Amino acid sequence: MSDKTTRRDFLTRSAAAVAGAVILPQIIPSTAMGLGGKLPPSDRIVMGAIGTGSQGTGNLKGFLGRVKELQFVAVCDVDTSHAANAKGLIDQINKNSDCRTYGDYREFLEKEKLDAVSIALPDHWHGLIYSAAANKKLDVYGEKPLARTINDSKAIVSAVKNNNIVWQTGSWQRSLENFRRGAELAVNGRIGKLTRVEVGLPDGGRGIGTPPVMEVPAELNWEMWLGPAPKVPYRGVSHWNWRWILDYSGGQLTDWTGHHIDIAQWGFGMERSGPVEIAGEGVYPRDGIYNAPVEYDFNCKYANGIEMRVANASRLRMGMGATWYGEKGWIHVDRGNVLLASDPKILAEVIGENEIHLYKSDNHIGNFLECVKSRKETVAPVEIAHRSITVGLLGEIAMTTGQKIQWDPEKQEIIGNPVASRLLTRPYRQPWSVPTI
Amino acid sequence: MKKQYILVLVFAGLLATFNACQKSAEYKALIVTGQNNHNWKASSPVLKQLLEQTGLFTAEIVKTPEKGGDMSTFNPDFSKYNVVVIDYNGESWSDKTKTAFADYVNNGGGVVVYHGANNSFPEWKEFNLMCGLGGWGNRSEKDGPYVYFKNDSMVIDTTAGRGGSHAKRHEFEVKIRNAEHPVTKGLPIHWMHGNDELYSQLRGPAKNMEILATAYADTTGGGSGRDEPMLMTISYGKGRIFHTVLGHADEGGGPAMECAGFIVTFQRGAEWAASGKVTQKIPYDFPNAAGVSIRTGFKELTLADDMAMIEKYDITKSTKYFADLQSRIRNEAKTAQDYQQFEKLMIKVLESKEATDDSKKLILGELSWMGSDLCIPAIKELAKNAGLKDAAEFALARMQPTK
Repeated sequence: MSDKTTRRDFLTRSAAAVAGAVILPQIIPSTAMGLGGKLPPSDRIVMGAIGTGSQGTGNLKGFLGRVKELQFVAVCDVDTSHAANAKGLIDQINKNSDCRTYGDYREFLEKEKLDAVSIALPDHWHGLIYSAAANKKLDVYGEKPLARTINDSKAIVSAVKNNNIVWQTGSWQRSLENFRRGAELAVNGRIGKLTRVEVGLPDGGRGIGTPPVMEVPAELNWEMWLGPAPKVPYRGVSHWNWRWILDYSGGQLTDWTGHHIDIAQWGFGMERSGPVEIAGEGVYPRDGIYNAPVEYDFNCKYANGIEMRVANASRLRMGMGATWYGEKGWIHVDRGNVLLASDPKILAEVIGENEIHLYKSDNHIGNFLECVKSRKETVAPVEIAHRSITVGLLGEIAMTTGQKIQWDPEKQEIIGNPVASRLLTRPYRQPWSVPTI
Repeated sequence: MKKQYILVLVFAGLLATFNACQKSAEYKALIVTGQNNHNWKASSPVLKQLLEQTGLFTAEIVKTPEKGGDMSTFNPDFSKYNVVVIDYNGESWSDKTKTAFADYVNNGGGVVVYHGANNSFPEWKEFNLMCGLGGWGNRSEKDGPYVYFKNDSMVIDTTAGRGGSHAKRHEFEVKIRNAEHPVTKGLPIHWMHGNDELYSQLRGPAKNMEILATAYADTTGGGSGRDEPMLMTISYGKGRIFHTVLGHADEGGGPAMECAGFIVTFQRGAEWAASGKVTQKIPYDFPNAAGVSIRTGFKELTLADDMAMIEKYDITKSTKYFADLQSRIRNEAKTAQDYQQFEKLMIKVLESKEATDDSKKLILGELSWMGSDLCIPAIKELAKNAGLKDAAEFALARMQPTK
């Protein structure tokens, strides 16, 4: 067991010392924390990681770059080689060989005393593991998209809220100046009244047919990798390429929903609401085990009259990214620090004191760590991540059924369509059960 | 006597029913062939079949004299037709015939330039204006620029060099560049084309020409490294020309012609050339970026075909019949009755002794969202089968959530 005093222990003890106090978010101004300087051990955030494949390792390296503020003590992955790689990175930073490794998140959460956890898993595991981490009262940095289904997503939101934890979604574009600036100009009417929005996400690619059944690599616990998804034999598709199979992901659409749709809704004040009507169509592979749509094109109508078109990039004139169209022009944002407008003068506009100022974060992981200390809301909180993936998943439902979907963003229900409503959930395979809301 | 009379009546009745079911053919098409370095004896009957299977065309094939024959005898009355399909690469026609053809197009006649036809008539200026681009036949900078796409923009390249090349045949991805044109509207933007010659480095006058689709000629396969035009439209006088470089023919057609992407763009292009509009629906087997779609025997599958193949599905076989069933449900089911029609066919698969477990699993997944109470007894029955228990429970849990 860890002999270190975790930050959570410290906070709990401090809080307990205040007579009659409930555990209130303890506000310590970041300036007082001496950010950038070395923190006393009791203030270093004790962390672990679940899921240390490519994205998980990328995130881990991001965290390890801020080692003065935190300490990683344990990792968990169903692939022992992933866990070993992550342990290697951590031990090198910690200058010891103490990082513990696990293959089962339940054991990891039970045994480790952590403040926060970084989670990067295939989407079909998000509902269970995000909820479980929240229920352990750990602060979570979790990868987008928030969940594989809208019901799972709702369950995660309620777990995060009930446990009053700090949540940051890996929608890191929110911490980049060009995206925030574009959204802020749009939401403050710098292109006039907004009329429509376009979101371009990546096109899908080539299939692989159905590869033969293969021996499961010794390092991979295939049963645990599948978890709540249908039991299928191993065909060499697990890490990374899970995202082309609907049992685990919705393909490029849902993979990127947490980026450009997330930014788009930020720019017209809908990041905590959602559309009222969704309709469109997808192009699906006809052969093989990859079955997520390779092209998609759907339209979302919002109660305020704005329409948002979401499509694979090659269907849109502006390609990848988010574009807001207003009565007086347009603004476009994309990766690679792209911030364009119909008139360059728009980009020079100053946002006045009494106008809308969007949450400013210049470092996504840094923002999370600051919020873990301050107990404030992050730049990509769970509710917003939930509202972002809801759009992608409603688009998926509209395409799957070929129907126009009516959605109530208040009640978060599909209106008058019990058949399409079934697609709000995916039953879990025994012994796993859908997390409760 | 009496028996024969009844038979005749029955036959006449069948014929009448058959004719009533057929869409009346609105357009007349003429396929011109007879000489070609390509296998015109294989391609032209296929082109005729493809035109006629749309129900929009009656098509005739006209052959020029063989090489060395008297070309002055080749004098079709083009004006009788709505569209002329050129499947020809041979000796020059007589001046009279050339003039008649140019007049036909000038006056609003439609033309489809098919694959090797753009190799023909390097010396005939008017024909090259109709094709926009051509290849081989000593074409060079004297015949016009290279035209291709680079960074999503069209490039007119006057660099000196030969016109026309292609790498070894391979499957390649076609990219739609204008998704608003009647021919391409609604097609997937990216689709894999069956094994074909990727025509490259074509040159020509390129006047009044619009490129609808390109394909990247990969240098690793010996290609030009350019996004080369695959589908084009050209206007000449009042006439409309659709130019497809796809569809190299093997004996019986082969994968380039059996590609549903070639078939459908040819059929749509021909209708557009004949009429300026496209009324054909995009079929469910149109290919996309995930892989090619070969229509064996040029036959479009019916729902009954799909269901029969789904029954036989095991994991080693293609899922395309099931994918097409899903597309049919998405596109055709509007009312509860429509859904039940599909559901009844799917229940038959669940109850079939011949149907494989793999096919039943696919069907259970689909029924999980669109099935009604009707299919529940069949699913409960399958839940007793160890191999299907999980899939059946998945379907039941989704259809009858316990709250």
